[in-house]
Amino acid sequence: MRAPLSWLREYVRVDATAEEIARRLAVSSLEVDRVIEMGVEDVGDNLSYLRVGRVLSADKHPNADKLQLCQLDTGEGEPRQIVCGAWNFGVGATVAVGLPGVLLPGFPAPLDERPLRGELSRGMILAEDEIGLGSDHAGIMILPDGIEPGTPLSDVLPVHEQVLDLTPTMNRVDLLSMVGLAREVATLFDGELLPIAVDDPPALETEPVDVTVEDPLGCPRYLARVFRGVTVAPSPMWLRARLHAAGMRSISNVVDVTNYVMHVYGSPLHVFDRTKLEGGRIVVRRATAGEEIRTLDGIPRKLDTRDLLITDGEKAVALAAIMGGEDSEVTDATTEVLLEAANFEPIGIMGSSERLGLRTEGSNRWEKGVDPYQAEAAAVLASRLLVDFTGAELTGSTDIHSGLPERPVVRLRTDRTDRIVGLVVSSEEQRSILDRLGFEVSEDWDVTVPTWRARDVTREIDVIEEVARVVLPRVPRTMPLRRLVEGHLTGDQRLRRVLEDVLTGAGFSEAYTWSLVANDPDPSAIRLSDPMSGDQAILRTTLIHGLVEAARENVDAGNAGIRLFEFARVYLPSDEQLPEERWRVAGIAAGGFDAARAAVEVVYDALHLGLRVRRAQRPFLHPGKAGETDAGWLGELHPALLDGSWGVFELDVATLIGPVPERILYDDVITFPPLRQDIAVVVEEEVEAAALVDVILEAGAPELREARVFDVYRGDQVGEGRKSVAIHLSFQVPDRTLSDDDALVVRQRVVAALADRFEAELRG
Amino acid sequence: MDAEALEREGLAAAAAAISADAVEAVRIEFLGRKSAIKQALRDVRDRETGMTLNAVRERLETAIDERESVLARAELDARLTQERVDVTLPVGGQTRGSLHLITQIRREVEDIFLGLGYRVVDGREVETTRYNFDGLNFPAGHPARSPLATLFIDEETVLRTETSPSQIRTMEMQQPPVYMVSLGRTYRRDTPDATHSPIFHQVEGLVVDEGITLADLTGTLDLLFKKLFGEQRRSEFRTHYFPFTEPSIEAYVSCHICDGDGCPVCRHSGWIEVGGAGMVDPRLFEFVGYDPERYSGFAFGWGLERIAMLRHEFPDLRELWRNDLRFSRQF
Repeated sequence: MRAPLSWLREYVRVDATAEEIARRLAVSSLEVDRVIEMGVEDVGDNLSYLRVGRVLSADKHPNADKLQLCQLDTGEGEPRQIVCGAWNFGVGATVAVGLPGVLLPGFPAPLDERPLRGELSRGMILAEDEIGLGSDHAGIMILPDGIEPGTPLSDVLPVHEQVLDLTPTMNRVDLLSMVGLAREVATLFDGELLPIAVDDPPALETEPVDVTVEDPLGCPRYLARVFRGVTVAPSPMWLRARLHAAGMRSISNVVDVTNYVMHVYGSPLHVFDRTKLEGGRIVVRRATAGEEIRTLDGIPRKLDTRDLLITDGEKAVALAAIMGGEDSEVTDATTEVLLEAANFEPIGIMGSSERLGLRTEGSNRWEKGVDPYQAEAAAVLASRLLVDFTGAELTGSTDIHSGLPERPVVRLRTDRTDRIVGLVVSSEEQRSILDRLGFEVSEDWDVTVPTWRARDVTREIDVIEEVARVVLPRVPRTMPLRRLVEGHLTGDQRLRRVLEDVLTGAGFSEAYTWSLVANDPDPSAIRLSDPMSGDQAILRTTLIHGLVEAARENVDAGNAGIRLFEFARVYLPSDEQLPEERWRVAGIAAGGFDAARAAVEVVYDALHLGLRVRRAQRPFLHPGKAGETDAGWLGELHPALLDGSWGVFELDVATLIGPVPERILYDDVITFPPLRQDIAVVVEEEVEAAALVDVILEAGAPELREARVFDVYRGDQVGEGRKSVAIHLSFQVPDRTLSDDDALVVRQRVVAALADRFEAELRG
Repeated sequence: MDAEALEREGLAAAAAAISADAVEAVRIEFLGRKSAIKQALRDVRDRETGMTLNAVRERLETAIDERESVLARAELDARLTQERVDVTLPVGGQTRGSLHLITQIRREVEDIFLGLGYRVVDGREVETTRYNFDGLNFPAGHPARSPLATLFIDEETVLRTETSPSQIRTMEMQQPPVYMVSLGRTYRRDTPDATHSPIFHQVEGLVVDEGITLADLTGTLDLLFKKLFGEQRRSEFRTHYFPFTEPSIEAYVSCHICDGDGCPVCRHSGWIEVGGAGMVDPRLFEFVGYDPERYSGFAFGWGLERIAMLRHEFPDLRELWRNDLRFSRQF
């Protein structure tokens, strides 16, 4: 919404600059995108160089076929000679003149006197685009007759304009109107609202207007007026200038009136060429399935039964509230007009607008819920202007509705305002704010909401907000009392941070990858009903593929030492409405299986958990380098997925941290130090380290405290298909220091068990 | 034997020794088993002579020990001087990982609020329309309910469009006082560009207690801004509209680049929009069974990406999803 300030000031008297108004509105009313400066710069005496002139003579330039040599009366006593390239005027025309010295928009320097093809030109006759009043450059501006030559042009036209570019929130459709903005400005600055005085033109020879509303829920009000004797022509200059400043294009007097009045009251209007309506009739109904209408923009629109149509009983003539039909459009030849000032229900209009991908100034207002009372004021002003501008006569009028909505009445407790806002606002001030906003407040604080806020303000809290937003700049900054509260992370949240820290300490950088993926290994993974693209169609059940892509990006970027982890959720299908969301931690690191194993080891160690890895298979892992733990899997990424050797892992966080001890008990390993010995045994290649260790620990209990494989040797000395495994043993009991003899006994038990279980031979 | 001469001779020999070996030779010569002094001590008969000789022996021992330690120190110094390395030469070795920038900001925000007595709540990402819309007072026909704005799984299940459903779930689970923040992924049907992403992160805050005011909200947000953007920041609050708060405000912070003078980052306004907030709408209290006459509350919800981009001045939000180490290791 663009609000030219000169227009706004016609409805509110306020002593404030554009910047002050913009600042105050931004805090208390609506978003102000910017203040746009339009037209001729108002600096120094620049505007004084713009005058009204009358053409005294206009003849072909003696030395140029395309130029005119003119003498003008610019109120200086002497005629002024100006060379002009336009031909759309003659002697006696009233025009706008720029005198030498004026700085025009888009010009690098002030205008100067100069000879043009040998004739001195002492100024410029102006076209509307040259002073920012419009976009037309077909000819110079013709002003109405009767303005005294020499009159400052700024007295006649807004040659300098400041325009507020505004975006109201969706509950404030009333601010998509000049009167709504004027009321807001009057409230915030304690200014005076200036009413729009307009007389409804008399209907002399009346005729019936045939309107049927078949869908009163979709169209609660339909006010129609008929005009005969319409002459379609360009609008007067001031109207063109205003529409231009408000960001709208001038079309013709009839269409411009509807846009102008929509801007004034916020209630969109539409005009039909009445001779194109079968029997001059209007029928408002839902479309039939597959029905088509060609809208004003020339595009055929296919409709369904949810779309609301304006028809003439035979054919569709407008897509209600959104856009008119091409067939019933007002053209230069139009002589009879049917003016529609209706009201439409917002949700249906929004649906149609979305389905058809068609948003207009009209639909933008209707979908937010326009006040049905405004239709009448809009119809009256539009009628007045149509009669004035087109020479038409009002010949018929009808207003179909089944009662307009009641205004809500809300009881306000002014002390409740204070308790919600945290600021004492005197009841006099509360009353005054509400009064200026158009609320009626009774002696006992029954607040009657104005029609234009009736959708939005229905409860006490809504009325409190009206006061709150006006006093917002005065609201102090305090802190809540916070009795009976204490802040802490839950155990799970704390452990999640530990995991993050351990992995970053191990050189892993955290990655964020998309939860929506193109493919997922789980065929029952949840799919979006209408994804934005195939790449984001499925809620992932594993993090690994995102990390593989992230690693690939880093390889392509030429980065070295790539180690990435991600901490995110997966979404597992369940029997409930909602999937099971589980935190996972996953990683990828250059360096093959060992890199994954090292990361998983440090994770388990940091959580005080024992790590047990079993051989496993996963389709995305190297078949010989894949394992699983109780919480997930680890391995070397299948080389088909990414060049190089990459270690990868993924662990379910809840499963992982479930067994983490809440409290760690002291274990005395210091008073009686351990006795350490190493052994090496030769076993078949298939025997895995974990199996050896399990048997050793079982056989060595209780004196054997720790057994750890530290080397594996293969070679001629141990023979084909066999390996020598070196194991570090640590003997310790809590109540005495063990002797070599004690250790020997335990060691013999261990060796015997290994021989029994794996046919292991003690080496060396 | 002339003890005095022997001592003079021994002290001179020790002082003249220039290596550890030479000192050892001196020690053997003057203090060894076959040395003159040891011989003399073995032959001594009277107490006085014995004391004199022992004193000489002790003085020689001390002198030789001292000489030995001086020489050892000199040798060590000489060796260390030779072991000089180029300390300016990097060795690599340990690589540091880094938390994602959004995680870092998430933790900062969590820690600020933990210190204020709030708890951190983990919300769900896949939500029912009941929690994502109905409970938050989104009216029928609100644009957010449209599949053009929201990602649906079925008619009653969506990817949460804001972190606010966690408000409803928290209030359903417990009685006031509620002081909580909730941070996580949120989803909207936005085409990715420099400032939009269909997946983004929000921080949600909710307080419900007796006597909570709009002033408490502005005070809390003012504090948060100062922690995130610097102690000298000022805040401004402007009226806004959200279905779930009434009154609703939008929070602005004075531009940390120009401090309010106007620059491209704040689009010459001096203020930067951070996000929405407001007093919890009484309808939410009715929905969860709280008494709106007894309790009031405030809530806020902002994008973390926006905070990251503003604070660290990078122009394209998609960097946060590209996981390029050249980006992430900067933070």
